[in-house]
Amino acid sequence: MSFLSHLISGISLGSIYAIIALGYTMVYGIAKMLNFAHGDVIMVGAYSCFFLMSRFHLPVIVGVVAAMLVCTLLGVTIERLAYKPLRAAPALAVLITAIGVSYFLQNAALLLWTSNPKVFPSIAGNTSIKLLGGQLSISPTALLSIASCIVIMVALTWFTSSTRMGKAMRACSEDKGAAQLMGINVNVTISMVFAIGSALAAIAGILLCSAYPTLTPTTGSMPGIKAFTAAVFGGIGSIPGAMIGGILLGIIEIFGKAYISTQLSDAIVFLVLIIVLLVRPAGILGKTVQEKV
Amino acid sequence: MLTVTDLNVYYGAIHAVKGISLEVNEGEIVTLIGANGAGKSTTLQTISGLLRPRTGTVTFLGEPITNLPAHKRVERGLAQVPEGRRIFLSMTVAENLEMGAYSQRGADTASGMEQVFTLFPRLQERRKQIAGTLSGGEQQMLAMGRSLMSRPKLLMLDEPSMGLAPILVEQIFSTIVEMNRAGTTILLVEQNAQMALSVAGRAYVLETGQIVMQGNARELSGNEEVKKAYLGG
Repeated sequence: MSFLSHLISGISLGSIYAIIALGYTMVYGIAKMLNFAHGDVIMVGAYSCFFLMSRFHLPVIVGVVAAMLVCTLLGVTIERLAYKPLRAAPALAVLITAIGVSYFLQNAALLLWTSNPKVFPSIAGNTSIKLLGGQLSISPTALLSIASCIVIMVALTWFTSSTRMGKAMRACSEDKGAAQLMGINVNVTISMVFAIGSALAAIAGILLCSAYPTLTPTTGSMPGIKAFTAAVFGGIGSIPGAMIGGILLGIIEIFGKAYISTQLSDAIVFLVLIIVLLVRPAGILGKTVQEKV
Repeated sequence: MLTVTDLNVYYGAIHAVKGISLEVNEGEIVTLIGANGAGKSTTLQTISGLLRPRTGTVTFLGEPITNLPAHKRVERGLAQVPEGRRIFLSMTVAENLEMGAYSQRGADTASGMEQVFTLFPRLQERRKQIAGTLSGGEQQMLAMGRSLMSRPKLLMLDEPSMGLAPILVEQIFSTIVEMNRAGTTILLVEQNAQMALSVAGRAYVLETGQIVMQGNARELSGNEEVKKAYLGG
């Protein structure tokens, strides 16, 4: 029975990683850059929701929607101010800028909200669901995380395969020049991807803090790095890859904690990444793309 | 219809296009011929907006478009079939055509697709197929069909014969003539000078970024220098 309960916690943690990883992978797909500030957008989302709920006593749903709006605005602003001027710059310059934005967000949060941890309330309540005659208990946050992940996956798949904007996004990911020649505004499309990724980051931040209630200005960095790992694991640039990578990573982490060592669980996660990349350098669902000259 | 005046384009320090001026009138087929690296593609990409000139102007339908972003030029009726086709390989044939109609907000995509399918029946058979699995000739047809979806007034084609078997080249060129008869003005860039001169009304000959000769296509194909340099004797 403990195996089943670990599996469920793994899938639920993995669902949160998957939602974050989507942001990394979609941005990479279209802008060919690693947005290392993405993890900190999660933290801003969690703080926004926390303050709206605790200070203004707004209902959960309002807090979540408002946090999504804050993060969308933040994501689009970051792209516009920090990354857009570097569209033609070498990849290394963009990478360093992204790390800079990450530190900026962490320190701005430190200034605004201090380093005192905030205790985040569970947005899904605390009544566990008991199954199999009380032997298996599932937290409502875990269920909510898994459900959110499924809904987001279905919605994104529909968006990219059936809408005009979603197809334009795929076209831009493949060939920006050709997309422009079709009349697609590449800048608007990139902004839209940042908007979607950041709104998802808000959801992930709230779910994460609901499950692990300590909120500090660095809350987003470790899950951010793990979700990035998940995106690479699944094949960066691939939406289903981010999903599979995230969930597998969550399961590996929880099983590592439960059966091997709590202290080593993070090391195990990254060890698995190294092994996967040695065997399949493009990730589980990644395609080996030849660099065009 | 299209007027290019004294265009200068640089790649970093390399002066790729040196003061080119050219004109395309409504209903014409005009070709730019010249060797590899003469600046033909650079000129075309500057007209379509993918590259920016350092100096010079591009005027389309009486309005200056030199500083207009590429995606806005498509809305005005200026389309380009890029060199190397550059179709969206991971999307289906139908999705590629839909992308071609992106600038036609709210227009009837289905009727545009019907027209493309009449021109290229092969694409209709393959419309649900992933574009990356098409043959080279089919990919060229798709690239042309995709550009036609924006209902262009002026269609620019960059090396449509590249990498195709002679029989397919014939087919592609007869389609170009057909499109022109149906009312689309054509600006064609080609290394296959013989083919290009046989369908074009007028031609410009480019050498190292400059226009060295221009005039009636038939006269140019009879010109001794052109024969020697571009027509294999």
